[in-house]
Amino acid sequence: MADLEVRDLTVEVDGKEILSGVTLDLDKGKTLALMGPNGSGKSTLAYAIAGHPAYEITGGTIAYKGQIINDWTPDTRSRSGVFLAMQYPVEVPGVSLTNFLRTAINARRDEDLPIRAFMQELKTQMADLHVDESFLQRSVNEGFSGGEKKRFEILQMAMLEPEIAVLDETDSGLDVDALKVVSEGVNRLQGPDLGVLIITHYTRILRYIRPDEVHVMLDGRIVESGGPELADRLEDHGYEEIAATARA
Amino acid sequence: MTDSSPATPQAGNVGSSPLEGGGKLTLDSLTEDFLLERSTADGEPDWLRDRRLAAFKNYRDQRWPERKLDEYWRNTPFAQLVDVGLPLVSRGDDITIEAPNALVESLDDPAAATLLDGEVVAVNVPDHLAEQGVLVLPLRQAAHDHADMVRTHLGSLTTTSDGTGADEDRTISVNDAAWDDGVFVHVPAEVEVTTPIGVQVHVTQPGTHLPRVLVVLGRFAKATVYVEHSSPDFERAEGTRRTPVLVDEVVEAIVGDGAALDLVTLNEFGGGVTHLSLQKAQANRDATYRHLSVNTGASTLRLRPEVDLVGAGASTYPTGVYFADEGQHFDLQPYIRHIAPRATSDVLYKGALQGKSRTIFRGNVLVSKEAVGTDTNETNRTLILTDGARADSTPFLEIHCADITAGHGSATGQIDARHLFYLESRGIPRDEALRLIVRGFFSEVLERFDAPGVRDHAMAQIEHEIDIADLDRIGVSDAATVGEDPHAPIASRG
Repeated sequence: MADLEVRDLTVEVDGKEILSGVTLDLDKGKTLALMGPNGSGKSTLAYAIAGHPAYEITGGTIAYKGQIINDWTPDTRSRSGVFLAMQYPVEVPGVSLTNFLRTAINARRDEDLPIRAFMQELKTQMADLHVDESFLQRSVNEGFSGGEKKRFEILQMAMLEPEIAVLDETDSGLDVDALKVVSEGVNRLQGPDLGVLIITHYTRILRYIRPDEVHVMLDGRIVESGGPELADRLEDHGYEEIAATARA
Repeated sequence: MTDSSPATPQAGNVGSSPLEGGGKLTLDSLTEDFLLERSTADGEPDWLRDRRLAAFKNYRDQRWPERKLDEYWRNTPFAQLVDVGLPLVSRGDDITIEAPNALVESLDDPAAATLLDGEVVAVNVPDHLAEQGVLVLPLRQAAHDHADMVRTHLGSLTTTSDGTGADEDRTISVNDAAWDDGVFVHVPAEVEVTTPIGVQVHVTQPGTHLPRVLVVLGRFAKATVYVEHSSPDFERAEGTRRTPVLVDEVVEAIVGDGAALDLVTLNEFGGGVTHLSLQKAQANRDATYRHLSVNTGASTLRLRPEVDLVGAGASTYPTGVYFADEGQHFDLQPYIRHIAPRATSDVLYKGALQGKSRTIFRGNVLVSKEAVGTDTNETNRTLILTDGARADSTPFLEIHCADITAGHGSATGQIDARHLFYLESRGIPRDEALRLIVRGFFSEVLERFDAPGVRDHAMAQIEHEIDIADLDRIGVSDAATVGEDPHAPIASRG
């Protein structure tokens, strides 16, 4: 049994079916890439896994470590070890970055992490991810550039230590330098205790974070799966070839 | 000299309140003779007595506000909410209760005065301030000891006001005529007082209270003044929105050329109190006036934070937070008058409502023809936390000069579901996430103010409101879907 098992998942948004039966396995220690054209449902899968209330599961299951989590609240999923790095992280005005992180960390601990240990860890991660210390004074994502927001998502991942991490188009809007920093951050966290699902439209990030498996989504379903060489094929031929086959 | 027992009321108007009895005067049954007798008995100077009688004439010629006739009272139905038949609370009544510790007392040796049921019961001015000429004393006494200053400034913002005329509201005239005692604060020219000065208005008795505060800052003076309002809870009778306590207050502040005044008002009366308050300042040349109101108390609160910008280059930052709970009605009406050129105003009010509550925000700005180079902005943001709450927000701009910058914005809505999801997706449980978001909402406003102890105090008040909130009932905006970036190019190559 895989650590994260998605079986025949159908999901509706605003009454419209976006996922039409997705099946996927993700184990800790593995990195999966999920690719596909716009509208294929990649982000919808990410948010369904995270438990976003607007994404209604109409069929199938999501199981995490053997338990079906369809009805779990987002915070329960997070505390159990699921993490979603968002494509468009929102600014949360007036909520300080440090307060937010500490609250999130303490929510999954029996005893609060002492402030000093927390600040030390936070500052180390900020340095590794090239996030300036002046950001400590800011509210969550307040005035952050696109690249800064993405780096902060990875920083949260590093601090929260999930077992399953879904990265929703983390590479979108990043220049090469930012992409390298973010990728290095993910690579540092990779290991036998972490399963990563990279959702991306482009193959670029996969040059820095090597996937074990590549899956292609189209029209709300996974239509092709393979090893890293599938990404190379997409790079050369785009989605049309796969789409033609899948829709035939 | 007669003794100071309450004057015998004349026959005539009898109040409609069930509490009226024993021949006490009410707001509705005020008489010239009563004012004359009381003023004489207190040995007030002639000029003050004349002022009161002149105000009485206005009062006599005016009528109480009516929602259908008086634009500014449209949302606060006077007849339904205000009992003008409540007996005036006067000195000589049995006062054995003490006022609680004011916020200002937690600070280092502040100058402070306490007005308890219309009597100044405690005054303290530390030596180092007294030596510099800083004054905090009962207003009535100041009318004697500092007649010139009081005579010049008292009522200057309610009876005659540079370019804006007299206040025509009967609730103001009645205070001009019949304020009992009050507090006078004076900071002389070029004196900077670092510790906030405290004026505590504490009310313990049912009836009508008419407090008066006058603050005068000389040129280039600098001070912070806290006006704290407190009381126990009073029981409201069934089936009426009127309360057994009415506080009708006027706070005037004169900010001299180049001076800086921060006025913080904590409107924290208990339940069963109707609080009507005009807090008006005059900002002279290059003066800076900041006003912060923390509004969580009273059953009905109608606050008029007003500023006349009469000096070129003056600036004002009227700021407020409010949290209305079940049964509360808050009507907040800032009024900024740009009379002189190149003045700046920036109004920021944020509030939250829960339960069956009502708030009205009406931001009035007047820019006169001469006010070239005006820069004015007003912002109001309200969070509706649960069903049944209603918030109205309207800007009113009257602009007579083209060469200005004016902005206004208002947003009323529920907590943004995206904010909530973001916090929950990091493992923060819903209740705690809601608290964080509401605190975060208010912190922007409170961070504008650097007044010692105030931010913590206001946050504690807000947190208390959240704690008693029915968090399960808090509604959020429809969760916005995330979707794909509409601007991403359709890629055929990776």
